[in-house]
Amino acid sequence: MLSIARSELIQIFRNRLVLVSGFVMPAAVSAFFIRQHELFASVASIGYIAAIVLFTVGAFGFYTTAVTTLASRRQNLFLKRLRSTAAGDAGILVGLLLPLSVIALTQVVVILTVLGAVAGLPGNIALLATAVLATVIMMLGLGLATAGLTNSPEHAQVTTLPVTLGVIGVASWVGITGTERFTLLKRLLPGGSATELVVNAWNGGAAVTGSLLLLAPTLAWVAIAGVLASRLFQWEPRR
Amino acid sequence: MNSTPVIDVARLNLTYGDHHAVKDVSLQVRSGELYALLGTNGAGKTSTLEIVEGHRAATSGTVRVFGQDPRDRRAVRPRTGIMLQESGFSPDLTVRESVRLIGKLTGRTDTVEHVLGIVDLTSKAGTKVSQLSGGEKRRLDFATAVYGAPELIFLDEPTTGLDIQSRDALWSSVDKLRAAGSTIVLTTHYLEEAQQRADRIGLMHRGTLHREGTVSELTRTLPAVIRFTLTNTTPALPLRATCENDGSCFIETHHLQRDMYTLLGWAQYHAVELCDLEAGPTRLDDVFRAIGDD
Repeated sequence: MLSIARSELIQIFRNRLVLVSGFVMPAAVSAFFIRQHELFASVASIGYIAAIVLFTVGAFGFYTTAVTTLASRRQNLFLKRLRSTAAGDAGILVGLLLPLSVIALTQVVVILTVLGAVAGLPGNIALLATAVLATVIMMLGLGLATAGLTNSPEHAQVTTLPVTLGVIGVASWVGITGTERFTLLKRLLPGGSATELVVNAWNGGAAVTGSLLLLAPTLAWVAIAGVLASRLFQWEPRR
Repeated sequence: MNSTPVIDVARLNLTYGDHHAVKDVSLQVRSGELYALLGTNGAGKTSTLEIVEGHRAATSGTVRVFGQDPRDRRAVRPRTGIMLQESGFSPDLTVRESVRLIGKLTGRTDTVEHVLGIVDLTSKAGTKVSQLSGGEKRRLDFATAVYGAPELIFLDEPTTGLDIQSRDALWSSVDKLRAAGSTIVLTTHYLEEAQQRADRIGLMHRGTLHREGTVSELTRTLPAVIRFTLTNTTPALPLRATCENDGSCFIETHHLQRDMYTLLGWAQYHAVELCDLEAGPTRLDDVFRAIGDD
């Protein structure tokens, strides 16, 4: 597993397109939000900025790159090559996605640290860390499921759009308007409860136990994505 | 070679929807032998091979490799090398990195330098896979298959795209592995390679294992052919021949030496020149064509 992860890391850093679209662009967008934090805080809150940078990295960076990577490795039969060895399926997937996950988490931590340094520290760091982790896991599950519907890296540009735009839209809707109205709908949409959790964790003031309940919809999306992935994911190109 | 089956396939079936790709195939590959699985296009040999390799599940039937389910990768793959029909390497990794990665994942012990030396890719160790030629990629594929000298090696179209020197070098490596006890399963479109090297051959056609045996067992069922051209009017031939208007003739025979002797004796007695004379035993190509005509 670690040897697969190591080779994947090498491939990521040798592929400029992945490096720029998957990691530099989300970081640049996040930098813009942090620079304009006073403007966005006046519209919503600093917690909203934390949520939107989390989903920018999670969706535009991590999720899209994960789907593209899996589709690419399937298309050029690299997955089949790995499966011609003694490595198990779980070990192969973990090895392929571990570097992306670590890079995404590192990005989020660095960006939120900068946001904290610029705009003030979050109210509950432990709750924020839980929300970040749950969101990354959810995006990972959705990535595996989407990869099952994606035939090629080019096709990924289309298949990733609904989830990417969807979670960014939900995060903005929940982050800006709150959850006083359409509460159930906003919490059940993918990314809705995760956004509320991040906003609560950053802004502080909300009860921890009440906030932790918001993990349930996010974890439910992880479960749904896991079931979809187990049914849809293909190891070899469709014939 | 001993009679212990390394591969044991019994009543194997594979269906895709309404299409019955593999029908009741049973075969055994014994330890130390080179078994060639050949077939016409769409005959089902790739599907059969993928099931035996553990890449695909059968619809019904049993497959055992070293007595184990081939999909139990931890048990079977450390003893099995697989050369895929298509490359499957990451274009962004170098040759050295690719061999190191796949070699390590096989669970066998070897050195990258050793296997790159076997396939004469040492000078390309630092080259990205995307910059290799088609033949070099095939050699890289072979390198990962023979990493750690596995007991069983699947070679799927191993020499496609290789020049003659690389082809000879590959077969020389296979010979060494066989001398060390490795069992080889080969698929190829180059029938002369199978004819020269296989201990036994399985011929697949329309999803079934149509015929199986040694080269001589397969070819003896068809007659040998004597071909020649007559340029002038001649006395009646001493054997039953089929002749065209342009004078080209052929004689089918199950007794090649005896009938050649008769024909040459007749030609000498009548001072007849047999132009373009050629004769030989039945080739695997002829068996193949006969299957296609069935």
